[in-house]
Parts: sequence; structure tokens; C-alpha cells
Amino acid sequence: MVIWLFAAVVGFSGRPSESQAEDRGALRRVADGDSSGLGALYDRHGRAVYSLALRIIGDESDAEEVTQDVFAQAWRRAAQYDESRGTVVAWLLVMARTRAIDRLRARKVRPEGRVHDDDGLTLQQLPAIAPDAVSEMLAAERGQRVRHALEALPFLQRMAIELAYFEGLSQREIAERLEQPLGTVKTRMRLGLLKLRDALMEAQP
Amino acid sequence: MTPSHDELKHEAAAYALGALEPDERAAFEGHLAGCAECADAVRELQRSAAALPHAVPQVSPPPALRARILGEAVTAAAPAAPAPVRRDRRALPPWLSVAAMLVIGAGALIYAQRMQARVSTLEAQLIDAQARAAAADRLTAEARTVALRAQAAMGVFAALDVARIDLAGQPVAASARARALWSRERGMVFTVANLPPLPAGRVYQVWVVTAQAPVSAGLLTPDASGGGSVYYETPVDIAPPTAVAVTLEPAGGVPAPTGAMYLVGKPSPL
Repeated sequence: MVIWLFAAVVGFSGRPSESQAEDRGALRRVADGDSSGLGALYDRHGRAVYSLALRIIGDESDAEEVTQDVFAQAWRRAAQYDESRGTVVAWLLVMARTRAIDRLRARKVRPEGRVHDDDGLTLQQLPAIAPDAVSEMLAAERGQRVRHALEALPFLQRMAIELAYFEGLSQREIAERLEQPLGTVKTRMRLGLLKLRDALMEAQP
Repeated sequence: MTPSHDELKHEAAAYALGALEPDERAAFEGHLAGCAECADAVRELQRSAAALPHAVPQVSPPPALRARILGEAVTAAAPAAPAPVRRDRRALPPWLSVAAMLVIGAGALIYAQRMQARVSTLEAQLIDAQARAAAADRLTAEARTVALRAQAAMGVFAALDVARIDLAGQPVAASARARALWSRERGMVFTVANLPPLPAGRVYQVWVVTAQAPVSAGLLTPDASGGGSVYYETPVDIAPPTAVAVTLEPAGGVPAPTGAMYLVGKPSPL
């Protein structure tokens, strides 16, 4: 809860103010009980919320439930959203991460990823889905920037950040997993986040 | 006694990443409320953390999810601050809307039945494909971790400034042997054999010893035979190593060596 209070004031999105203004408008409609606002928010950010949940839990039906929970919460709590504390998309994603990590912890033992037998399904059979080509392109561009910045980090910094954010491990658990003293893990997380910030600032047009 | 600013300021990054345990988080949040410096640091670090979800491979949720979410919202109680729903409908005779609904309803029913079969086939295919993609992503992530370590180790072997350090077992572990390859830029590959089994609550810690002080390279948990090969990222800004050593320390490691020395050796020319 308090985590999102401090969530990014400006994300690293392509056109933060513009898309934030649209999100803000949609959320205002949600607060007025207009479900078209929720539909608009879902169309803009449903994919990002679902993808983050899926990356964290690795199970599609759990990821769907998390996505559903996030938007149900946005529906109920739209009036409590406070712009001074962060963008709408940061708010949604923080809710998604918190819920996904809660589920992951509740499950404790993470089952192996299922590998399906190939039943002859080909890519051509899949329906084409392109809700909004432009916003997807912008999101892809931003995703690539963050990915590159993350990949450029030294091994320990990157692992410490990924284990914390995506696996929900505490700093103690990370120290055990990486076989490093706790103090080293703290330093690496901090250095990694600062380097990430610098890399993303440079990449800003 | 409440922990001081100096003790807590190092928790900001873990806090921003959600990596504090509940008691640690409570203590830090208590401090945060009254410390502008830490609040600034957290805000700064959280800007980076907020970018992380965008690095995730983007996968479209199943199309049916949208309808489920909107359906749930509409049937659920109105939002926390329910505003009067004032739709600006032009007053039409009630029978007209009923008739229109019947006509539209009949058409929609036929159309829906026709589409339903097709949609559920496509949906099943899509969900299956996404499940496989997600499983592949997880395997890729695991393989990437292994590959990154291997790549880092290769970097050491190929480094121009690589130094070799052969370590000899000390009296507590006379038959233990180890070799370290250290490069300032690339880190250290450490291979060890015949270390005694670890006592409970203990771990081996590897040190790069310099004229100033021993610097921790990392922890070492040998396999059942007392052997193993590990890659360590070591700081680039230390004085030239005068030795590499292995000590027995409390689980979790320590900032400076406290326990018995098990292995030690000095650099020798390659």
C-alpha cells in the first residue's frame, strides 16, 4: 500500500503527460461509476498488467485472476487514486506486482513450467490481435530501452534486482541465493537501480 | 531503541524493490515518515523500480478476460464514491426501446450462436499457445542465468591481466586444494577440491586479500565431494591482491574474516 504511495511520479513512458491525462480522464469516469472508463483503462494497460503478472507467477490462469483483481480494485478505489503520488499506470502495475507476489508466496513451492506437447498448432492459426498498434509500438520501444539498460548491468546487480522485483525474494533470501553477504546485496541493488536510472535518463529524447 | 538513520539509509533500495521483510519494512517506514533524506532517496530509486515492469515480454491476455472484468464491475456494487448515474437519454416512449431490444436481441442471439463455436476454438488455441510461450520464457530465463555466469567466467579466462593463485590447504583442511584466476576487470573463477563438509550454520567465504584489507569475493558452498567451481564478480577498484584465502564463517557471510583459515595462496606468474 505504502509502496505505491511513492511510486514513480513520472514513469519512463514515451509521452508521460499525454497518456497520463487520458488515463486520468478514464479513471475519473470509473469513479463516476461509468464502466466505459474501466474498459478504456483495460484497453490501454490490461496487457501490461497481465504480462507482469504472468512473468511473476508463470501461470496464465493465475495471471488472469490477478488482472481481474487489479481492475476490480481500480473500479472500487478509483476515487482514492491520488495523482501526486504517481501515474495511473504505475498505480495499476504496483497493484499487479503486489497481488502476483502474494499469490506466489502463498503457493510457496513453484511448480515447474508446463511444457505442452506440440499438437500441430501453427502460428498462422492464431487470430490477429492488434488493439492499438501505436500504443503497442510505444510500449515495445520503452520495454526495449528498459531491457537493454537491465542487460547492461553487472551480473550481481541485475540478478539482485530481478530476484527482488520479479521473484519477490527478500534481501536475505537473495543473499542466500546469490551466495553473497547481505551488505553486498544491499549495495548491488542500490547501484543497479541508480545505473538503471542514469541509462533511462540518457535514453530520454 | 529505534534504529538510527545511518543504520536504515541502506534499506532504501530494498524498500523500493519490495525486498524488505515485514519487520524491516515497518521499521523503515517508521523512519521514512520523519526523514526527508530517505524519502528523497526512495522516490529516486522507485522511479527506476517503476520502469522494471516494462521490461517484461508483453503477452496479450485471452480476449474473454475483458468481458469478464467489465461484467464483474457492472454487477458489483458501485465504486466507493457512487455518483448518481445521470445518463442523458432523450425521452423515448418506453415501448420503443422494448421493441428495439427484442429485435436487436433476436439478431444478436443468432449471431452470437454462430460466432460462439468459432471464438471458443480460437480462444483455446490462443490460450494453449500462450501457455507454451510462458513456459518457454521461464526456461529461457533460467538458461540465461546459467549462460551469464558462464560468459562471465569465459571473460576471466580470456582476460589479458589474468593472475593465477594456487591455494594450499591449511592444517584444518590439509588435503584441500584450490586455484583462483583473477582479473581486475573481469572477476574471479575459483575452483576447489577436498574441502571438509560444512558444519550446520556455517559457510565458506572467499577473500581477495590486498595490502589494505581482505575484500569478500563471495560465499562458497561446496558439493558433496567438497569441490566446486564458482564465478565471483570482484570490485575493480581494489589494490593488487597479495593473496586469496578461504575462511569458515557464520551462514550469510561477514564483512571481514573472523573464522579459521582453510585455504590460502599467493599470486604466481602464469
